[in-house]
Amino acid sequence: MMKHIIQTSLLLLFSLTMAVAQNQRDVYQVQVDGLGCPFCAYGLEKKFKEFKGIKKITIDIDSGDFRFEYPADNPLTADQVVSQVEKAGYTPKTWTITRADGTVESSDQLAQASDNGNFKTYNMAVSGVCGMCKARIEKTALSVKGVGEAEWSIEENVLVLGLDPELTSKDRVGAAILATGHDVEGKKATDKAYDALPPCCLYRTKSKH
Amino acid sequence: MKKLLVLLFLLLGVQQSKAQGPPITADKPIMLGGGSFTTKTLVELRNTERGDFAYIPLMLHYLPSSNSLVAVHIPIIDYSIVGGPSGTELSDIKILGKYQFYRWDGTGKTFRMVAKTVQQLPTGPSLDLMDIATGQYQSYFGLVAGYESLQYGISNEIGYNWMPNGSLSTFQHKLGFGLPLFKPQYPNKQVNLYFEYANVWVFERSWYQMLYAQGIQYARKNITFDLAIQVPLVNDVSAGRRLNQSVFLGARYTF
Repeated sequence: MMKHIIQTSLLLLFSLTMAVAQNQRDVYQVQVDGLGCPFCAYGLEKKFKEFKGIKKITIDIDSGDFRFEYPADNPLTADQVVSQVEKAGYTPKTWTITRADGTVESSDQLAQASDNGNFKTYNMAVSGVCGMCKARIEKTALSVKGVGEAEWSIEENVLVLGLDPELTSKDRVGAAILATGHDVEGKKATDKAYDALPPCCLYRTKSKH
Repeated sequence: MKKLLVLLFLLLGVQQSKAQGPPITADKPIMLGGGSFTTKTLVELRNTERGDFAYIPLMLHYLPSSNSLVAVHIPIIDYSIVGGPSGTELSDIKILGKYQFYRWDGTGKTFRMVAKTVQQLPTGPSLDLMDIATGQYQSYFGLVAGYESLQYGISNEIGYNWMPNGSLSTFQHKLGFGLPLFKPQYPNKQVNLYFEYANVWVFERSWYQMLYAQGIQYARKNITFDLAIQVPLVNDVSAGRRLNQSVFLGARYTF
């Protein structure tokens, strides 16, 4: 009897955990220019529905405020969002992404760093093999305060990093990425961090895919 | 007096130029996102001194990108000419292309310019019926400019239609204004009024027409239903060929 109760409780706990994990969503907000009529807003919504899993789309045509939610286990980068607005035929002005873990990325950070005149771009060698690696590397880099731009190439294994040196450093970003299990500029991630990567991201044994 | 009336109509139109939404008889420079399709129809019931004509097109528009459009219009025409033939058959098929080469966006407003071409194929009967059934190859080149905001909107088109084997080559100009009757909202639920002017110079025949269309449109999300009545303000064409009026009935669905 007791065994059944424990099994049922564990099953319930597992289901709840899975449900919560699946409900983890990033919130995206974009200020879009050019929405001169409700039909324009329809064109924008339709274009974003190409992202499977998108939910809770709202568009305020008076202010151009466009919001939606997207699963955190397959996050969109700011570049993807900006590019999709442009493909819809409109102009993205500013954006803010609130990740499910509470991290906030915004175009203001980028602009602020740029305005300071200290905004610098660096290339950093980061190992990885797949789209999931890309999402993790970029997300980790952007979560470091002072980083406004992070674009990682699967083919070249290079991260293009835009940051404000007064707020952070290339080494600090490198350390954050290293902690997630990816080798950075010849420094090896710990075996523990590497082994914790999902099977498709095990770049030391897998080829690019 | 006639010129005074024309001016009065134009001024009235300009003063009421708080418009938005896709025009009915005029064209627009805004494209609704790359990769989308719009299927529509705009039935024209044209009554002239020569007879009655019903033009029923099926139009399919596709946007390969956010700044380009290709379309095909396949029309059926039903005609009844006084003292002449009558019948129902396939009319001139049109192939259309548009390219947006200029865009300026602001919050809740946009200004765009588009280059446009229409190739009209000689698949219809030779009814010498301007724009809809000539049985002759025609090639149109035009520019469309439009300003659209939540408060007002204007669409403006100028172009040249070339008919190499006939005398219906024309210079054309269209001007459209609209007025949303309710506060714009999304998802879309709106009734729009339209005030549209069309100028046509058939220079090889020394014909000139200025037409005014009064339209109303019901728009809900990605569907619209249109109704417009077009009457001539200036009708300097040969006796027996004058337009009395046209009635337009339209619907469009974007997907």
